[in-house]
Amino acid sequence: MPDLVTITIDEVEYKVPAGSLLTDAAKAAADIDIPVFCSHPKLEPLGACRMCLVEQDVRGRWMIVPACTTRVGDGMKFRYASEAATQAREDTLEFILINHPLDCPICDKGGECPLQDQTLKHGPGESEFEEIKTHKEKRYPISDLIMLDQERCIVCWRCIRYLEEWEDKPQLGLFHRGGETVIDFFPEQPVDAKTSGNIIDLCPVGALTNRVSRFRYRPWELKRTKSICTHCSQGCNVRLDARLHQLRRIVARENMAVNDEWICDKGRFFHGFVDHAERLTTPLVRDADTGELREAGWDEALGIVAERLSSIADVHGPGAVGAIGSAKLSNEAAYLLQKLMRSLVGSNNVDHKGGAAVLADPRGLSNIRDVENADVIVLMGVDLAEEQPVLDLFVRRAVRRNGAKLVIIHPRRIEDTRYGGPYVAYKPGEELSALDGLSRALLKQKPVAERAGKLGGLPELTEYLSGGQISQEVAEAARLLAGALRPIVLYGPAVVSGPGGEANRAALMNAALLAGCGDRTFYIAPEANSVGVRDVGLLPNRLPGHLDLSDASSREQMQRIWGSKTPADAGLSYDQMLAAAAEGRLKALYLVASDPAADGPAGAAAVAGADFLVVQDMFLTASAQQADVVLPAVSWAETDGTFTNLERRVQRAPKALANPHSKAAADWSILLHLARAWPVSTDEQPAKAGKSRRDGSQKGKRERADTPKQWKYASVQEVLEEIGRAFPAYAATDWASLGEHGRQWAADSVPPVARRLAVPARPARAWLDDFPFALVTGRLLFDDSTLMTKTRPASAVATVSINPGDAAAADVQAGEAVLVASPAGQLELTVRIDDAVLPGTLWIPYSQADAPVETLLSAAGDGVGTPVRLMSLQTVSEKAG
Amino acid sequence: MLTDATRNTIRELMARYPQARSALGPALEAAQQQLGYLPDEAMAEVAAIFDLEPMEVQAFVGFYHMLHQWPVGQYHVEVCTNVPCMLRGAGKCGEQLKEKLGLEYGQTTPDGMFTLGEMECLGSCGTAPMVSVTRAQSDWSRYYEELNTPERVDAMLAELRSLASVPADQLPSAGRVVPGVDEVARPYHHSHHPDTNNILARIDKPDSHTLASYEADGGYALARQILAKEGGKTPLEVLETVKAAGLRGRGGAGFPTGMKWGFLPAGSYPRYLVVNADESEPGTFKDRLIIEYDPHQLIEGIILACYATEASHAFIYIRGEYFFGAQRLEDAVAEARAKGYIGKGIFGSAKDLEITVHRGAGAYICGEETALLTSLEGYRGHPRLKPPFPAVEGLYRKPTIVNNVETITQVVSIVRNGADWYKQWGSEKSPGFALYCLSGQVKKPGVYELPYNTTLRELIYDYAGGTIDDRPIKSVIPGGLSMPHVAVDKLDTPMTFEDIVAAGSSLGSCGIIVICEGESIVEVARRTMGFYREESCGKCTPCREGGGWIEKILERIERGEGQSSDLDLIDRLTWPIERQSFCPFGAASVWGVRSMIKLYRDDFEAYIEQTNPTHKEPELPVRPIYRPDTGDVAPKVRV
Repeated sequence: MPDLVTITIDEVEYKVPAGSLLTDAAKAAADIDIPVFCSHPKLEPLGACRMCLVEQDVRGRWMIVPACTTRVGDGMKFRYASEAATQAREDTLEFILINHPLDCPICDKGGECPLQDQTLKHGPGESEFEEIKTHKEKRYPISDLIMLDQERCIVCWRCIRYLEEWEDKPQLGLFHRGGETVIDFFPEQPVDAKTSGNIIDLCPVGALTNRVSRFRYRPWELKRTKSICTHCSQGCNVRLDARLHQLRRIVARENMAVNDEWICDKGRFFHGFVDHAERLTTPLVRDADTGELREAGWDEALGIVAERLSSIADVHGPGAVGAIGSAKLSNEAAYLLQKLMRSLVGSNNVDHKGGAAVLADPRGLSNIRDVENADVIVLMGVDLAEEQPVLDLFVRRAVRRNGAKLVIIHPRRIEDTRYGGPYVAYKPGEELSALDGLSRALLKQKPVAERAGKLGGLPELTEYLSGGQISQEVAEAARLLAGALRPIVLYGPAVVSGPGGEANRAALMNAALLAGCGDRTFYIAPEANSVGVRDVGLLPNRLPGHLDLSDASSREQMQRIWGSKTPADAGLSYDQMLAAAAEGRLKALYLVASDPAADGPAGAAAVAGADFLVVQDMFLTASAQQADVVLPAVSWAETDGTFTNLERRVQRAPKALANPHSKAAADWSILLHLARAWPVSTDEQPAKAGKSRRDGSQKGKRERADTPKQWKYASVQEVLEEIGRAFPAYAATDWASLGEHGRQWAADSVPPVARRLAVPARPARAWLDDFPFALVTGRLLFDDSTLMTKTRPASAVATVSINPGDAAAADVQAGEAVLVASPAGQLELTVRIDDAVLPGTLWIPYSQADAPVETLLSAAGDGVGTPVRLMSLQTVSEKAG
Repeated sequence: MLTDATRNTIRELMARYPQARSALGPALEAAQQQLGYLPDEAMAEVAAIFDLEPMEVQAFVGFYHMLHQWPVGQYHVEVCTNVPCMLRGAGKCGEQLKEKLGLEYGQTTPDGMFTLGEMECLGSCGTAPMVSVTRAQSDWSRYYEELNTPERVDAMLAELRSLASVPADQLPSAGRVVPGVDEVARPYHHSHHPDTNNILARIDKPDSHTLASYEADGGYALARQILAKEGGKTPLEVLETVKAAGLRGRGGAGFPTGMKWGFLPAGSYPRYLVVNADESEPGTFKDRLIIEYDPHQLIEGIILACYATEASHAFIYIRGEYFFGAQRLEDAVAEARAKGYIGKGIFGSAKDLEITVHRGAGAYICGEETALLTSLEGYRGHPRLKPPFPAVEGLYRKPTIVNNVETITQVVSIVRNGADWYKQWGSEKSPGFALYCLSGQVKKPGVYELPYNTTLRELIYDYAGGTIDDRPIKSVIPGGLSMPHVAVDKLDTPMTFEDIVAAGSSLGSCGIIVICEGESIVEVARRTMGFYREESCGKCTPCREGGGWIEKILERIERGEGQSSDLDLIDRLTWPIERQSFCPFGAASVWGVRSMIKLYRDDFEAYIEQTNPTHKEPELPVRPIYRPDTGDVAPKVRV
């Protein structure tokens, strides 16, 4: 706690923290809202706007001073309400207003504008200005997303300071000077910082406006709902502003633990899918006569699904039914989906993309803001700038404010390598060598050698690591880690996926233990609810609470809650389900918020191969177009739900709006009603069966029954309560307790990962001579995924990026069409030359329109290190000719 | 588009500074010398060399007047129209140039030879009116001074035309020229009290600017002696001498120099000395004389000051327009370095000293010490928060002393002759002697080295020969354009810091501008406000908005649309600008205008009554148009 000092404001004494800014001290101690424009609690003091003027006793003379840059000391005396201070603030406002256009009636900020509010509270009331106002650009796009009105701008520098202090991308600046000063950008280089939209929230006037939302609301008409963003696993707190059943705007909401008060541009601008005209509004069933999808009522659609799924399970065994969910589902929807599969179908065939294939640490990150306090940050196979822009802000903060060093281990020269820390490149599939190299270098560091002696398994590891070169970059990384006090390691799903995942995780843990940060090595989950869907058991081999399926007591625990037995055999994983469906072994496939048909041939074959396909989604996706029944779902904004972010924080996303013309329903509600429509076997429900059984029914035949008591939820909140019983870590996260900022579940609720040195079992890997390149893939923030393209059109071309040297050697030019092939498939792409791509690798991001990189992967989890080749189309056609 | 030669120059410039970004301004100047202006591509290339975002470079370029984003003619002819030049016929000079070249300000001749521009004070008030000519794609720049006859203007144009085909590297040396009179650059008019011929004592000698000449007159002996192991002085002794002499800063604020040096936190190194040679206050041209004609005296002062303050690196921030002065300083520094007076172990002592000459790029605000430091670090010259004061956290956040050129030069005389010798002149609170700059309507404008208690009357009538045509004096600005005017009843005020304050003004930079009866007080006021509006950095609201407002009112009055209520309005506006601006320059920007309205209100009212007898009110256009327009604008157009 800082020392308290006594200051006087308007003759009253207050105790305030020494050295705090007068604006903050006055608010905290005296509840005085000193008006400000340039000052902002998240930005460095500037003192430019002169709005916050007060009087200060300086050696017996009362002087006008700015409160926002004055740090308080003992005995300081101020006057806020005095005539001179009040006059000073009036005068500043008069100056600010002379050249301001006062076009409040058409200004998006009108109604929530600090300039308006302060003019009301502190303004002069009238102006003697009788001159012509200064004219500047009024409609000046600074990016595709943000519009600048230079006339409204009051030159407070907040936008400039945000981009400098948080983004470390000074893309906006003051141009010219004096009264001609404007905010501007360099020609052809519009603002492209990934969190640029925060400057709209920061702007104290209507100078910066949201081009997606402009002129679509008056602030006072909006229904404001405190929610969270579900684009990635950060779980940024947002406010959803709706009007007339439409989501008109998203703004950031402060949650110091999660996102400070920043959100990324994807979260702010890309919500067009919610109100999109192509949204499904009614269930569809495939007409037996026409073979086409036709509109149907919920009773009919759910009746068909319940009947077909149960009868397929009866006829072919429960193992013939599979369900694929998504890491974007809420905890409640995911929980009900796996419960439905396990307790009604009787199968563990339930998974999601990036589920069982990823050896994720269920605990994720300790705390998001821990990143800011680290002194060495290792980013292993994770590109925060593209994948987690808000987390990346904290990393940059650590680097720039606190002098943290960044060690980057990545198969691509990602943006954060600009900080000049050691960059360890590796070819995808050779993560193990990179990590072993780091361990080898660490063992050469004196403090590490001392520490390592206390760890088990050192002799074997030393033997395993003996020999081998240590590159300069790796040596530097080891030196930094050995000297670090608060190192932190963040790794992404690619590191622990596929056949090499187990070995990589062991090697990563070796390096982390040697570096002394075994307990500070954290998995960065990718999707909004990657952590939560695992917590609630959306996995073929885990029950809710990460309980081992093979453990009988765990199954009994679930049985007590569910009232039915849980099958003991592990189910099929995502990839296995797709393969089984394609081969006809899996007869029924139930897809919830999942679209494998868009992911290349394997997914398409699965969708085509299933006898009975149910798709539950917001849009008529590629998979849905082939479905037998399509169940229309709503977005996260249209129902209650909770999501668990990458630091295990369970957060509420309450219903913010609803389309009254749509019959689409929430995922959890659809699942609930499907369960209620489920025919009940006489064996399983004898007590109930007698009441509802039709006469003459045969033994074993399933029939409609009263809803089992285990499927009586009146609300999402009740589902959440049941999750708390299934996974006690969630017992403290009931809806009311979550509040506006969510709660983390206790990391010690799950058993710790073994922290000991181990020799990794190197999987056999064969590089193929015919396929000289290694494929690198990953997520980009602005991709062409279904939801993104509902806000803005997909990119015109799908690209493959290649290192300039490789491009020259392969004789391909930028913009040229090429064929990229792997043993699994081939894609036609356009060449992009990029020196961030390492020699010997090709970079093809996920979710490019009409060119799913999954085509090249033998299985989704096996994407890492897929060998590929590249040929110009011209060569291809010549060979064919 | 930058050549290898330019790139090498830029890299060499970057190496001169502890932090490379400081070289951004000089680097852009080098790029402009190659290209004639700074197209976007050049800015992007410079940004790449400095590892900056291109935006940062363009923001920098937009701040400084001497950096152009658009092409200018082969000769950029800029007429100074600020008050001291205006009082000596800049208007006529400008009209003649417009007529001869067929241009308005801001235009370029069809053959691309001349671009005519209007410029604010270039530090040539003693030789007004004047124009500055810069040749594109070269490092050639020259002041044409005393252009008070049509013949001289013609002679200048003729010379420029005749030189147009001469390759830039074969042009006659740059510097200052009085066309048809002066072939060689000679020091402009100066004089002194019989007993106080110190700082300017040498400057009439041939080659006074060279090291040989300086040493022949005993130069550097003092520094050598002070730094000697045997019989030398300790840094503290030198500091105490300066403190005891009561030397007050000559940049405008008059802060005691020794006290400022004493603020350096003990044990904190490195320390920097920054010599403020950004002499930009209209009516002030004393530092220029020292820099151009006795730069070694300044360097010796720097050596002594750095010794006293234990600074290891001195920067001389010279305004970019002082092209000739910067050249002479660079040459002098090179000479001194060659002799071992700058570098490692100077004069055989343990003292290391680097001196870097840094050229500004045209911004008055950079005379404010924190803005100067920001500019020297390679940013737009915005003032920064105090505290921390520069002595604690200055250049590169290290302890830094910022002193004016004259202040540092005075140190030489003080250390040589002692505090008591110095204090025999002047008053108790303003000891010693000063360099008074006389400009405006006096017979002999120039620099006068005189004891501090000399009265305005003595200065104007005894030294400067009285007023032109012996016209009666209307008003005097005693301390540079920003200071309040005083009327003729104050002519017997001794020019000390304290007496001039008692007379209602301030000593400022000792730039005395004399205005005679018959001049338009309205025009003087409008040009005064116009200068400070033009030079406002734009950081704080009162200075940015308020200055422009007052200028608009004065322009309206000048147009004949004034109301007598405007005078009260202007007076009212000056108070918040003074009280509430971020830096002292904002405050000082309104003193002149306010004092004029107070002293000469009758003149303003008479002007308004005469030009707007019907009290017609200004017509304002109806704005805004309340129509939401989501449409995108045309391609980016720059203002």
